[in-house]
Amino acid sequence: MYQTRPWQKVLRYFTIIIVSIMFFFPTYWMITMSFKPKGEWNSAAGTIYWVPQNPTLDNYKTVLTEYRGQFFRANQSSALPSIRSSIVVSIGGTLFALLIGTLAAYGISRHSTDTGDLPWYIAVGRLGLLVLVMLPFIVLWARLGILATWYGILTFTIIGIVADQIIGRVLGKYYKGAVGSLSFSILQLRMFPPMAILIPVMIMWSTFRLIDTWYGLVIVYGVVTFPFVVWLMKSFFDDIPKELDEAAVVDGSSNWRAFFKVVLPLAKGGLASTALFVFILNWSDFLVALLLTSRNWGTIPVFLNKLVSSEIGAQHGPKAALGLLAVIPPVVFGLLIQQYLVRGLTFGAIKK
Amino acid sequence: MANLRLENVTKRFGPITAVKALNLEIRDGEFFSILGPPGAGKTTTLRLIVGLEKPDEGTVYIDGEPANEIHPGKRDIAMVFQNLALYPDKTVFDNMAYPLRERKLPKDEIERLVQATAKSLYIDHLLKRKPAKLSGGERQRVAIGRAMVRKPKAYLLDEPLANLDALLRLEMRVELKRLQGELGQTLVYVTHDQVEAMSMADRIAVLNKGVLQQCDTPEAVYNFPANRFVATTIGSPPTNFVTADVRPHGDNLLLAHSVFALAVEGGRHPARAALESAAAGQALPEKVLIGFRPEDVRVSTSQANGCNVPAQVSVVEPLGGETVVDLRMGGDLVKAVVPPTQRLEERRHVWLNFDPERVHLFDARTGQRVYTTGQGEPFACLEAVH
Repeated sequence: MYQTRPWQKVLRYFTIIIVSIMFFFPTYWMITMSFKPKGEWNSAAGTIYWVPQNPTLDNYKTVLTEYRGQFFRANQSSALPSIRSSIVVSIGGTLFALLIGTLAAYGISRHSTDTGDLPWYIAVGRLGLLVLVMLPFIVLWARLGILATWYGILTFTIIGIVADQIIGRVLGKYYKGAVGSLSFSILQLRMFPPMAILIPVMIMWSTFRLIDTWYGLVIVYGVVTFPFVVWLMKSFFDDIPKELDEAAVVDGSSNWRAFFKVVLPLAKGGLASTALFVFILNWSDFLVALLLTSRNWGTIPVFLNKLVSSEIGAQHGPKAALGLLAVIPPVVFGLLIQQYLVRGLTFGAIKK
Repeated sequence: MANLRLENVTKRFGPITAVKALNLEIRDGEFFSILGPPGAGKTTTLRLIVGLEKPDEGTVYIDGEPANEIHPGKRDIAMVFQNLALYPDKTVFDNMAYPLRERKLPKDEIERLVQATAKSLYIDHLLKRKPAKLSGGERQRVAIGRAMVRKPKAYLLDEPLANLDALLRLEMRVELKRLQGELGQTLVYVTHDQVEAMSMADRIAVLNKGVLQQCDTPEAVYNFPANRFVATTIGSPPTNFVTADVRPHGDNLLLAHSVFALAVEGGRHPARAALESAAAGQALPEKVLIGFRPEDVRVSTSQANGCNVPAQVSVVEPLGGETVVDLRMGGDLVKAVVPPTQRLEERRHVWLNFDPERVHLFDARTGQRVYTTGQGEPFACLEAVH
């Protein structure tokens, strides 16, 4: 061990304190602000109130009850519908992604022959090729006037999937090494910035009449987080020796039962942490919900954005109150599954 | 009780052929061992029998019925995996009860069967523990118990003793043989350890690179190895091989090594016919491999009766019960096993005296055994021909 000089110690603690302040001050500010009366979070004189002078629950009342303005009819509704909406679509999207993602991950973990790391130039090149191949179809579909019809979208999607697989095959013929297959295509979904796919999704969703419905959001959340589920769960399944499911099959289980009775119980820690991760992603999403909802199914982030009044501008107090309420579900969820988050599964079954 | 048969079974994994046109019959109630180096296709063969792999060609028969399309769980064959594959989150009891629960047996019946099986394996005091809390030998027993509890037609064991320490391995070897005797069931045992195969099995199948080399009783595999590979795999230290030129010498044939020669006397000697038939197209092969086991060699400091071949001691390895001597014989290195009482110093000149009844001739190109003296007439021995 080397010696730590006193000044090094001082520097270390100084850094820790600075970083802690950077992280915790916003939280502190939000918590205190939610209890400040309007005059304190919106002080005219520019006075900063570091601590609430007259703590109040007014902000919570504001966001949780209907508010009628003096000049306009019901110019502000309560946040309760948006809280319900957030809960429904976040849980729904998480369950949807977990359901299909876990099964897909198990399949890829056990049966995919596509191992090995993908060099970035192959990944990007493959994606570029796909875009190039699909461009003429966009033009053609637009000419045919079917770009925004359900059958136009469906055929375009199918052509895209087929083209992607053909590109994979062709690449595989000329390039020795990993070119990615099904599991790669799934990861590839993550390479698109959400903004790039959201506009087309909006058109599709309005065509399919899925805008401002809870299931419309559930599908998008499920699909967007599906790749995360697949890649996280795949790594958990990879850690479970395949001999375990094979032993179950030899012992008389069907493949499905082997998965549910032997493999899944061993992966429950992974499943819990994946669920939390995906839930937080869905819960904190703003962009998708903003574009795909209007009156009925706006989520908490969308509602937060609308907390502006014509009298005083942004309503920081109610925003802080609702923000604090919004933190509760992920924290409670996290605490509930805390025991599973530890990856201390003792694998005594396997002699190393 | 089950009779297992593989007919012309081939299994490929991408460019690799794991098992190639394998024909194997495992008889009812037999202790059958599959022996081979790593990558020989032993585990694949087991997985083909139990149904975890589907053959690309050929058919697996169980009791005479083609079983290619039967789900592994319906074959009534139990398998113990090399890594045991105990369910880590389940107790020993639940591990052993798993196959019975999958068969929807009544609860008290499961309880009774698990208890009885656990007792016969001396693990009944461990039933409440999880696998992580067991020793290697105990886990081994649990894995075997999980296989036994459902009374299958046949047992497949994949290197079950490979990861145990040496002492435990000896103990479990005896235990397994006792168990198989009591159960009287067909048992297929995969191993890379020739001692395990020799000591336990009724018959041994030797595999190399997915190809069956020989399938016979331990005595036959030891005494009449089908080829050079089997002769090297079975027995420790492995069989010695030296190359000799085949020279016609009047009516006789000389198999001439640099320091000695074997004479095949007379035109009607069976070895001559065997050599001729081995060399398809030619009258006689130019070269032949002479193989003899280290156990069949005596080393003496003076000339004795019979075949005396001059050699020089290179390395002496005392093993306690016996001593292995590496000898330089002409340009070849050969091994001999001598009694521990015999004192030999390195670099000493000695005479090798080998048993003329136990000399094999192998085809120099294919490695196939063409002749063994134990089967027919012996050779005369000539010393130091140059």
